Formats: sequence, C-alpha cells, structure tokens
Amino acid sequence: MIIILQIILFIVLAPFLSGLISKLKNNLRMRRGQSVLQPYYNLGKLFSKDEVVSQTASWIFRVTPFVVLSSTLAAALLIPVFILASTAHQMGDFLVLVFIFALGRFFLALSALDTGSSFGGMGASREMFISSLVEPAFCMAIFAISLQSGSTDISAFSGMHLIPVSSVVAAIALFLITIAETSRIPVDNQEAHLELTMVHEAMVLEYSGRRLALIEMASYVKQMIFFFLIAQVIFPIGELPIDLTQIIPWVLWYFCRIGIIAITVALVEVTIAKMRLFRVADFLGFAFVLGVIASICAILGV
Amino acid sequence: MLSLFPKQLFLSDLLSLFFLCVIFIISLPSAIYSFGYLKGEYSPAKITLSWVLLIVFVLSMAAVVTVGNALIFLVAWEIMSLVSYFLVVFDTTHEKSIQAGTIYIIMTHIGTAFLIAAFLILYKYAHSFDFIAIKTACFIMPSQAKNTVFLLLLVGFGTKAGIVPLHIWLPYAHPQAPSHISSIMSGVMIKTAIYGIIRFVIFLLGVNSLWWGVLILVLAVISCLAGVIYALMERDIKRLLAYSSIENIGIILLGVGLAMLFMAMNKPYLAVFSLVAGLYHLVNHGIFKGLLFLCAGSVYKATGTRDIEKLGGLIKKMPQTAVYFLLGAMAISALPPLNGFVSEWLTLQAFFLGAFNLTGGMKLFLGICASLLALTSGLAAACFVKAFGVTFLGLPRSHYAESAKEVSLSMKSGMFFLSFLVVIFGLASSVIMKLLARVASAVMNIDVSSMSFSLNTFTLSPQPGRNIYLSAPALALWLIFFGIAGFAIYRIFGRGKEIVYKTWDCGYYKLGSRNEYTATAFSKPFRVAFNFFLLPYRKTQKIRESFYHVKSFTYETHTTKVFKKYIYEPVLVLIFRIANFMRRLQPGSIHLYLGYIFITLLLLIIFMGQF
Amino acid sequence: MLGIILFVLLASTYLMVISKRMPALIRGFRYQSLCLFVLTFIIALTQREPDFYIIAGLLFTLKVSLIPYLLYRVIRKIKVNEDLGLFINPQLSLLWALAFTYLSWIFASYLFSSNDPILTSTLAIAFFVVLAGIFLMIFRMTALAQVIGLLTMENGLFLLASTVSGGMPFFVEIAIFFDVFVSVLIMGFFVYRINKFFTHIDVNKLSRLKG
Repeated sequence: MIIILQIILFIVLAPFLSGLISKLKNNLRMRRGQSVLQPYYNLGKLFSKDEVVSQTASWIFRVTPFVVLSSTLAAALLIPVFILASTAHQMGDFLVLVFIFALGRFFLALSALDTGSSFGGMGASREMFISSLVEPAFCMAIFAISLQSGSTDISAFSGMHLIPVSSVVAAIALFLITIAETSRIPVDNQEAHLELTMVHEAMVLEYSGRRLALIEMASYVKQMIFFFLIAQVIFPIGELPIDLTQIIPWVLWYFCRIGIIAITVALVEVTIAKMRLFRVADFLGFAFVLGVIASICAILGV
Repeated sequence: MLSLFPKQLFLSDLLSLFFLCVIFIISLPSAIYSFGYLKGEYSPAKITLSWVLLIVFVLSMAAVVTVGNALIFLVAWEIMSLVSYFLVVFDTTHEKSIQAGTIYIIMTHIGTAFLIAAFLILYKYAHSFDFIAIKTACFIMPSQAKNTVFLLLLVGFGTKAGIVPLHIWLPYAHPQAPSHISSIMSGVMIKTAIYGIIRFVIFLLGVNSLWWGVLILVLAVISCLAGVIYALMERDIKRLLAYSSIENIGIILLGVGLAMLFMAMNKPYLAVFSLVAGLYHLVNHGIFKGLLFLCAGSVYKATGTRDIEKLGGLIKKMPQTAVYFLLGAMAISALPPLNGFVSEWLTLQAFFLGAFNLTGGMKLFLGICASLLALTSGLAAACFVKAFGVTFLGLPRSHYAESAKEVSLSMKSGMFFLSFLVVIFGLASSVIMKLLARVASAVMNIDVSSMSFSLNTFTLSPQPGRNIYLSAPALALWLIFFGIAGFAIYRIFGRGKEIVYKTWDCGYYKLGSRNEYTATAFSKPFRVAFNFFLLPYRKTQKIRESFYHVKSFTYETHTTKVFKKYIYEPVLVLIFRIANFMRRLQPGSIHLYLGYIFITLLLLIIFMGQF
Repeated sequence: MLGIILFVLLASTYLMVISKRMPALIRGFRYQSLCLFVLTFIIALTQREPDFYIIAGLLFTLKVSLIPYLLYRVIRKIKVNEDLGLFINPQLSLLWALAFTYLSWIFASYLFSSNDPILTSTLAIAFFVVLAGIFLMIFRMTALAQVIGLLTMENGLFLLASTVSGGMPFFVEIAIFFDVFVSVLIMGFFVYRINKFFTHIDVNKLSRLKG
C-alpha cells in the first residue's frame, strides 16, 4: 500500500522538480522563464496529440516507451522514501538499480536505431558510450557507500547519523554521475536540438504524442530517483516518525534537501559549458577517481 | 601397460555431473538446429560425416569432464581438440577455414604440451595417474612444485579457455566453424578448460597461496576488458560473439579466482558463494552464447553474409529469429530479469561481500575489480545494442538483407529451447543457486548445510541478517505490472491517432539505407576513448582528376591487433630466424653429410677410452 | 705368406686412394678383392669347411670379375669424362691414408692386446680399408666413387668379421653378397640415368637443388 503511495508521489512530483530546475536556470540567466508547472502542461499537451511512427520502425519502437517507464518505476520501488525496509526492498539492492536503468537504456538505444535515421544512430552510440563509462564510476561510488554502511542495501545507509568524509566524496561522485545519467550540461543539453549537442534528445527524436509523454515522464522519474539517492547519502534521514509533531518538520526537511540539490544542479548547468563528447570520458574518469578516494576514506574509517 | 590401467575410470562427482548437464543442455538444441542448417549446404555424405564428428565431439567432452585418471583425461582432451579441428575446417572450400584451423591446432597443442608437463610433475610425486592418489600426494608436495604445476596448468588450460594473451585462436576458429559447432565450442568446449582449472587447482592441488587467486583475478579482468573492447570494434557477427566469449570467460574466472582467494584466506562461506557465482555464469553463458551463435547462424543461412554492415531490417523478414537474438542480447548485457543479470549480480555481490569481510588493501583491490566488471557489462550492452541494432533494425543495407527469409522449423526449435532456458535460469535463480551451492561444496569440501543462500524460493539473499536481496521473479512481476499500467494509461488517456510515415529526414526526402548509422560509426566513440589500447590507424587514398577535383576518396580505419603484433609475431620471427640459422648445417652436399658421419666415427674411435 | 698378401691388400688400397681416374680406381678395387679372395681361400684350406669355399668362390665371381666388368661397361656407355673429380689431390690423399693406417693400427692394438702380430695387423688393415672406403665416398665427386667406396667398406667389414670371429654366419654372408650385387646393378643403372638426365655424374652439383 505504502508502495503505491510512494510511486504516485514520484510520478506526481517528478515533473515539478524538472520545472523547478528550469525556472531556477532561467532566473539565473536574468529571464522570467516558464512557469514551474510547465512540464505538467507539456505532458497534457502531448497526450492529446497524434503520433507519427516511422515506416521503418518495428515493434521495438512501439514497445520501448512502456519498457522504459516500467523499468524506471520498478527502480523507484527500490528507493526508501517513507519507510526504510519493505517487502519491495526484497526485490533488489543498490546494484540492481544499476542494471534496471541499463534495461531502459538498452531498449531506448534500440528504438533509436530502429527508425533508421542518423540522428537515432548517433544518439544511441553516444548514449551507450556515456553509460558504459558511467558504470564503473557508479559501481565505485556504491562500493564506497556500502563500505561505510556495511551492506549494499539502499536503506542501510539511511541509518547513518554522522556524515563521514567518504559519504561526502561519494556524493560528489554520484552528483557527477547524475549529471551524466539525466542528460544535463556539461554532458548533454536538454534544451537544444542541435545535432552536435544531442545525446538523449537524439534518441527520442522520432517519438511524438503519448509515447513521447511516457518517455519524458520516465526521464523525470529517473532524475527524481537520483536526487533522492544523493540526498540520502549526504543528508541521511531516518524513517517517517510516528509522532505527529515531528512529521511536519521531517517532511519539510525531506523536500528541502532535494531542493538544495536541485539548486546545485541549476547552478552547474548555468555556469559551465557543455563538454565535447570525448571529454566526457575524462569527466567520468574523474568521477571514478572520486569513487576510489571515497572508498579509501571508507577503508580508513574516516 | 596394464599397471597404468585405472582402477576407477570415472569420477562420479557432483562437479562432473554438473558439467555433463551443461554439455547436454547446450549440445542437444545445437544438434537439432544442425538438421536445418546443414541441409542444402553440403552433400549428404558430408552431412553424415558432420554428424559422426559431432557425436564424437560431444562424447569426448563428456569423457573429459568425467574421467578420474590423468592419462585418460589427456587422451580425451586430445580427441576433443582434434575432432574440433576437423569441425572447424569442415568448410574446406574457404581458405580462411584452413588458416583458422592451423592457428587453432597449433595453439591448442601448445596448451596440451604444458598440461602434459604439469601431469608429469604430478606423476613424479604421486606415482600414479589416478586423481584420488594425486590428491593425497598433493598434501605433501613442496610448495615450489605446487607453484610450478599451477602455472603450467594455468597456461595449458588458459590456451583452451581463451584467457588473454593466449586467446588469439578464438576469433579465428569460432567464426569459421559451422554455426552449431561454434555454439557448442563457445558454449561448452571452452568451459571444459574452466572445469580443468577447478578440478586440478581447487580440488586436487588445494589452494594455499594468496597470489594464485590474485593472479587469476588480474588475468580475468584483463580478459574481460580486452575481449569486450575488441568485440565492440568487430563487424563480423560471429567474430564479435567470439570476442564476447573471451569477455565472459573472464567473468567466470573472476568468480573462480575469488573462490581461490577466499579459500586461501580461510573464509569458507565466501569461497562457496564466489564459486557458485562463477559456475552460475558458466552455465548461463553457455546457454545465451549458444543461443546467440545459433541466431547468427540463422542470419548467415538466410542472408549469406556475416558482415553486419551489409544487413539491416531483418526484424521484418525474420521476426522469430529477431526475438531470440534479442533475448540472447538482453541476457548477455545483464538486463533484469534474465539469467545473465542474476549471475553478474552474484559476481558483483561476491566482490562486495569479500570487501566487507577482508581488510586493508584487499578491499580496494576488490572494489576496483568490481567496478571494472561493471565497466565491461556496460561495454557489453553497447556491443550488443550495436549487434542487434545494425543487423536487425533500420533499413536493409544491401541485397543480402533484402532477400532474407525466416529459417526452418528445426533451427527455430533449437533457438526456442535455449531462449526458454534463458528465461527459466533467470526466474528460478534461487533453486539453481541451491543446487550449485552443493556442487561447489563438493569441490571444496566445505559443509553448506548450515549456509542459506535464499530467503524463500524466489529471493536470493547472500548474507542472511543484512537486507541484501534479489528476487528476479518479483522484479519480473513488477516490470510487467508497470508495463501494463503504462499501456493502460496510454490507451485510456488521450485520443490521438497513430500515423505511419517516413522517418524525419530534415526535409530532404531522400533518406535511404546509406544514411543509417553503420557499425563502424557506432563504435567510433569507443575507438577514440580506448585508442591507447586499440591503436587505430587509417589508410586514405585520393584519386584526383585534376588539382582541384578529387574523383574518389577511400577511407579505411583499422585497429592494430596488439597481441598479434607485439607478442606472437616477434616470437614467430625469432623461431624462423633460428631455423634459418640451423639451415647452414645442411648445404645439400652428400659429401658433407658423409663427412659428418665420418667425423663422428673418428671421434668415437679416438675417444673410445672414455666410454 | 700371409704377411705378403696383407701387404698387397694395403698397397691396392693405397692405389685406390691415390687414383685420379676411374679405370685406375676399379683396377685397385680388383686387386683388393683378389687379395681378399686369396686370404679367404687360405682360410678355407686351413679350416676345411665347405662354407668358406663357397664364399671364396662368390667373392671371386662377384667382386673380382662381375662387378668391375659391370662398372667398366657403365663407364664406356656413358662416355663421360673419366676424371674422378678430386677434392684432395693424390699426394695429400696419400698422407691422409698413412694417417688413417696409423690410427687404425693404434685402435687395433688397443682393442686386441694379443701377441699375434698377424692378427693385429689384419685387424688394423681391416679398419683401414673401411676408413678408406668412407674417405673415397666423401672426397671424390662422382657417383661412381661412392659406389666403389661402399664396396670397399663392405670388403673391409668382411675382412674384419672373418678375422675376429671366424666369419659371419653363412647365410648372412650369402645375403650380403647378393645385396651387394643387386645394389651395384641398380647403382650402375642409376648412374647411367643420372648422366642421361643431367649429362654428368658429379654429385657435388646436387647442392644446386637446395631450396
């Protein structure tokens, strides 16, 4: 029951987070920008539109949005939002998260190649390149966090009270990984549809209408999951308290820490320029090195 | 001679039983597949010959994994190598087959030479070829001898398994063999080498030194990375699968090496767990690699070419083969909830658990190895997106792809059986893990009755007490549930139509198969990122009509075969140079030869007093 | 008496070693075989066994008459340059032959420290004949010299065997004679064919075939 509530919360809040970030970015650029609820309007608009499916596409193109959405929502099941351990957590641990995202990405890349356009091939090639370099960095960050908490379960490190150095460094590594996975500058530009700069957008270029709405929803939820993870690592928070007087501050702090991360992401997007694709390898290598440093700190017990 | 005859010929061990099961569940579908595959390709006499060779091959592999006598083991090993050589050069009209067979037979015999050396040293200490006698003798063998035997066995079995740098025969032999043979070779034959390592090193020699496990881990990581990076660069579909086999052997050896490491550090639970992860990946790889090779064979039979850059759009022409290939590709990229995912998760968990329980530098070493394993699984996913996407999706790139048709029933049933196993081995992971734990405990002589690896029949839990779980059926259920929910939302909300139209072509209206991304283009970022290892070079040729007008421009990009160029070719050059030097002793003159005899006689006569 | 025959045997072998042309070589071989025949005849007379008579007879027919006749015919047929083709000039060959004689004398006295000088010297000469045969095969260019060298070696071995152990078994002797005869026939035939194909029988030129 709580699970369904958790999923609904994710689905409802995820576009808001994205809207918040773009509002912040626009304000930083001295513009008024779109409203914070714009992503909801976009999704509604997409649902009412027709779809155009390419002639060369096969059933993979048609099935992919559902696979991507279901994999992202299944990953959302693993995140402890309200309670630390539930029966859904018997489904997998931190490592399973890595593989579930891989499932969505695999099908998205296949659907990009399915349409037979060069944009799709280019997007698929770049996306697989970036994601394969993300994996070791992600694994190393998970390793550091698990060393600190003693198990690979996601809810295990929610119980930590002090913030060790290793967690902070691992959180920075996770932050870099989040930028790569959620297609933000400096890895990818969500706002422009230029061939030189697209990765994720190139893969979904052929999608339109309701299918595009589902894929956009999936990317919002994925972003939400990553932000939750980073927030949990840096500012670990315990379970929902039973005491009524403590619920409101808990909830406020819960969402504030995600807001802090959103502000950081917006700042990073506005101040840094997008990197050349082959420099992304260095970027992710840096994330890997941060993960190694975090593990060394965890081994030393700091 | 009679004294060499073994008292107990067959070892009825759980490990042998496990390997027999692996052999048969992969050979049977391949044999059924070969009905349809060989029909029409060769004359009936040749087909009968291929059946005979296939049966001898499978029986020899079964003999290798079950005998309990080192001499008979060698005989069975040799028979296996020879019969597989005949199967590799089966298509004698292609000169590439002959070249592939030559490299294969030379490398496998070098490996066998090392094996014979190792067995001779073991015989010296045990005075018998029987496994049980060797095992008792190994308790008292000095550690220097044990180290030598271990290294000899590693090289000997490593040549057959395809550990880098002894792997060069794999990319030649596996593509040239007929596809059902490639699937058996890649799925089972290279696993018999892993059987050899497990049987001889873990079971017989007994692991007491730490550096054995570390050496195997390092070699395994190098094999993983080298294998998958080379696989990414390939455009021949079967060679891509062969390189991917090298990568997966590396992953299996990661599990085995971890088991050896933990045995040396005296942690029985972790050792059993890692060995279970290794064995699980062994059987999984056999299944999905066998499936992939059978699908590649179907593609070859339907289109006539193995070059994926000439294919495309096959999903519309061969829909069932496409589904099987997709399942195999998903399994090998470790996507949930299929079997590859479970075994890779188990291997990663073995690394993490080891890191939790060990101290100091070993933790970091295991962590780095784990992240390199994650890197290879990411690269493998990229590789198979390329393989499936360029072959099956998009527009057909040549007449080969346009004239493809779906394959016959026997081929489809072979592939269907293996893809069914792919799904089963993923969902029933907990049950299989219990069986494998018993196999591993039999090998290492550790009691597993008190160890529990799972919470219930659906959930795996590596360490009871901590909340680390994996439940593949639950994952599958939730995935399907969310998929259906998404589909429901899709149908209920919104009333738009779906229009089928051309792909977006920026307004040019002339989009064809030449505009599609090729396999070489797909792997370009990897070529650039790993250029320190791949050393790519390009050859360009410009033909000009005049100074201002270039008529044609040819562009080729190649990657340097590092191992061939820097290790094998210098060795070959050295051998030929020594042989040329020896040639001077033989000028072809009869008189000189007679002179040699004469001088020897004289010397014997003069110095006869000494003898 | 025996000493004189041994001396003639030695001298005939020296003749073979220093010969420059083919007829001279064959002549030396004939004298050698004749001496051998006389020796065997004397042994036959003293031993009074019919085997030795037969062997002596065979020796005479084959090695003294038939084989040299065959070889003369081959030479005349092929009409080749009768020069033997020497790697070492006759004078140096003689010096080498003397050295070999001395060597075999030391060897014989080392092996058989018996008081009978005739026995020791027969042994020494037998060894020397074998060495001379090998010498001929190595240091003479034409195929004919190889054939003669082989036959000389066989002579020496026969002498050695009959001195040391009273002769090899009868049938072995017969078999050897037969073998030798057939091989000479064949060699003669081949020399003819080789000459027809290559227009020379210079074995030294075989090294041109080297790959």
